[in-house]
Amino acid sequence: MTTFTRRDVLRVVAATGAAAVADVAEAREPHVAKPDDLGMLFDSTRCVGCRACQTACKEANELPYDRHAVSGGEYDAPLDLNGTTKNVIKLAHGEGDTAYMKAQCMHCADPACVSVCMAGALHKVKGGVVAYEKNTCVGCRYCQIGCPFNVPKFQWFTAVPVIVKCELCRHRGDKGAACAEVCPRSAVVYGKRAELLAEAKRRVAAAPEKYEQKVYGETDGGGTNVLYVTSRKVSFAALGLPTLPEHPLPQLSETVQHGIYKFGIAPIALWTAVTVMQLRARKKDEAGHGHGEGK
Amino acid sequence: MTAHERPLGGRILTPFFKLLLALCGVWVVLVVIRLLFGLGAVSAQNDGYAWGIWKPLNVVTFTGIAAGAYAVGLVTYLFNEGEYHPVIRSAVMAGAMGYTLAGTSVLIDLGRWWNLWVVFWPPVWNLNSVLLEVAICVMAYTMVLWVEIGPSVLEKLESSSSAKVSGAARRLLPMLQRAMPFVIATAILLPSMHQSSLGGLFMVAETKMHPLWHTSWLSGLFLLSCVTMGFGAVVVIENLTAMTWGKRIDQKLLARLNVVPAWLSLGYVVLRLGDLAAKGRLGLIASEGLYSFFFLLELALFLAPGLLLLSPRWRANRGKLFGTGLLLLFGGALYRFDTYLVAYQPTPGWHYFPYVREMLFSVCLAAIGVTVYVLFVKLFPILSGVDEAAATTPPRGLKAAGGAE
Repeated sequence: MTTFTRRDVLRVVAATGAAAVADVAEAREPHVAKPDDLGMLFDSTRCVGCRACQTACKEANELPYDRHAVSGGEYDAPLDLNGTTKNVIKLAHGEGDTAYMKAQCMHCADPACVSVCMAGALHKVKGGVVAYEKNTCVGCRYCQIGCPFNVPKFQWFTAVPVIVKCELCRHRGDKGAACAEVCPRSAVVYGKRAELLAEAKRRVAAAPEKYEQKVYGETDGGGTNVLYVTSRKVSFAALGLPTLPEHPLPQLSETVQHGIYKFGIAPIALWTAVTVMQLRARKKDEAGHGHGEGK
Repeated sequence: MTAHERPLGGRILTPFFKLLLALCGVWVVLVVIRLLFGLGAVSAQNDGYAWGIWKPLNVVTFTGIAAGAYAVGLVTYLFNEGEYHPVIRSAVMAGAMGYTLAGTSVLIDLGRWWNLWVVFWPPVWNLNSVLLEVAICVMAYTMVLWVEIGPSVLEKLESSSSAKVSGAARRLLPMLQRAMPFVIATAILLPSMHQSSLGGLFMVAETKMHPLWHTSWLSGLFLLSCVTMGFGAVVVIENLTAMTWGKRIDQKLLARLNVVPAWLSLGYVVLRLGDLAAKGRLGLIASEGLYSFFFLLELALFLAPGLLLLSPRWRANRGKLFGTGLLLLFGGALYRFDTYLVAYQPTPGWHYFPYVREMLFSVCLAAIGVTVYVLFVKLFPILSGVDEAAATTPPRGLKAAGGAE
C-alpha cells in the first residue's frame, strides 16, 4: 500500500501547468486588412438620423419591420440590432452634444466570430466581408460571446433560428451596400478600405477643431473594414464603440490552443504514457496473482 | 483490490424513484416547448448573454462533478495506485451520467441542432475553434465512459438466465478487458483536453471579461479545478450512497486519496494570485465591489478545503471529509459560474436572470442523471462495500433521514 508523497502531487501540478503554455508559445500572426477590402466609412458629424439606411437595409435583405409599443404608441423602427435587424441608427449622448451612431457588422480584418465558429458558418469571403452560411451553423452562439462589438444576433423565438448580421450586401454584387446608397448626407459611404481610410484621415486633418483626431477601426482590435470618424464632443466611447487592444482578439486564444496541441505531441505523449503504464501494471498483476483486470 | 462491486438489488419503483420519473416527464415537456417555440420560450438567454445558466451549470459544473472518474483515474492509472479501484466504478458511473447530461443539454441549447453533423465531418472543421475541440472531445469521452461501464453490465449478464446472453457476455468480457488499457488512456487524455478548453472558451472574450477573471491561464485553471471538483464529487457520492443504501465506506482510502485535492486547491490559489500579481491586478481584489466579493468567496472556497485537507485527523473523520468534499464542489462550481456569467460583461444595457422554467430544466436534467444512476447501481455491480444482505434490507433510520428508499 503506497501513500502519496508531495512529489507525486507536484508531478500532477506540473503536468497541469504544462497545459497552459500561453506565455511561452509564439504568438500567431495577425491577419491584416487588404487595401482593396470592401468596407464603409461612417461620419457621425454628418448623420441627421433620418434612418433611410435602416429601411433600405430591411428592404435589401428582405427583413420584416420591428413593431413594438414605445410610450403608448406603435413604433416600427428597431431599437437595436436584433434577430431581424442588421443595421440600426441610435442616438448617442456626448458632452454637450448628441450625435447619431450607425451600428452594423464591423467586418474585422481578423474577426473573433470567424475564429470561434466551429464549422466556418461565419467566414471571410472575397473583399474581406464576413459572411454567414446557415447550413453549417449549429446555433451555438459562440460568435455572440466572441464578438467584441456584440454584433451577431440570434432568433430566440423560432424553432428554426439563424444568426443575423450585416454581410455588406454581398448579394447585391457591384451595387454595394444598400444603406450607403440611400444616405442623403453621405454620412455613410461604401468603398475600398484604403480609399475610405484616406478620406477619413483627410476629413479629420482638415478640421482638427471639429473631429476627434482618430479613425476608429484603423487599428482597433487588429483593424476593421468599417471605419468611424466622430466629433470631439461625442467620443467613440459615447457612440458605443468599445476600447479595444491593437492586436486581434483571436490571437491569444489561438496561440494558446495551438501551443498546447502543437503537432499533437502533448496528447499523443500523454495517451502513450498511460497505455504503457497500464500494460506494464497488468503484466505485473498477472505474474503476481493472476487476477485483477485493467479496471 | 479486495473490494468487489455488487448490484444493490432491491425494489426499483420506490416513492423517491417515482418523484424522479415525474421530473423526467417535466423535462420532456420543457424540451417539446423549446423545440416548437424556440429557445426564448424556456430560457431568458438573450443577445447580450447568449449563454445563460445551462452552459456553466448543466455542462461545465455537471462535467466537473463527473470529473471524479478523471480525478481518481489520474491517481489510479497515472501513478498506478491500484488500491483506489473500489471507488472507480461508482465514479465512472457518475461520470458517464454527468457527461451524457451535459451533451444532452448542449444539444437542446443548440439553435440549429440538426446541423450537428458538422462536428462529425472533418472537411468543414475550423481547427481554431475551441468549442469544436470541446464538442468532439466531450462526445468521444461520453462514449468512452459508457465503454468503461461495459464490464459491469457484462458481469451481470454473465449470469443471465438466457444461455445466449450469458454466452455472449462471457465472450465479450475478456475482449473488453484486453482493450481496457487503451480505453483508459483515452479516458485520461480526453478530459485533460476538453476540461481545460471549457475555460479556454472565454480567452477570446478579452474585452468582455472582468480583469479578475480573464487570463491566458484560463485553460490551466479550469483543468486544475475540474480535478479538485472530481475529488470532491467522489467523497460526496460515496457518502450519499452510504447514507441512502447503507453502503460501507473505506474511510482510510478516502482519507489517503484526499491529500491530492489539498495540494491542488492550494496550487489553484497560488496560481490565481500569482497570475494577478504578475499582471499587476492584485489591487482589483478589494476595489471592485460585487466582483471582489465573488472573487474572494471563490478563493476562500479553494483555500479552506485546501488547508483543512492537509490535516490527517480532518481527513480521517467521515463527516468532516464529507464537508470539505462539498466545499471542493462549491468552489469549482462558483469558479465556473463566475467565469461564464459574473465576469462576463457584454456591452452595457444587457441583463440576464434565468426563468424559473429555465432553472427547472436543469433540476429535471439532474433528476434524469440520478434516475439512471439509481437504476444502474441497483441492477449492475457498480458499488463496492455492499453486502448481499444490504441489498434487500435497507438500514434502519433511513426513513427519518429523508426517505430516499
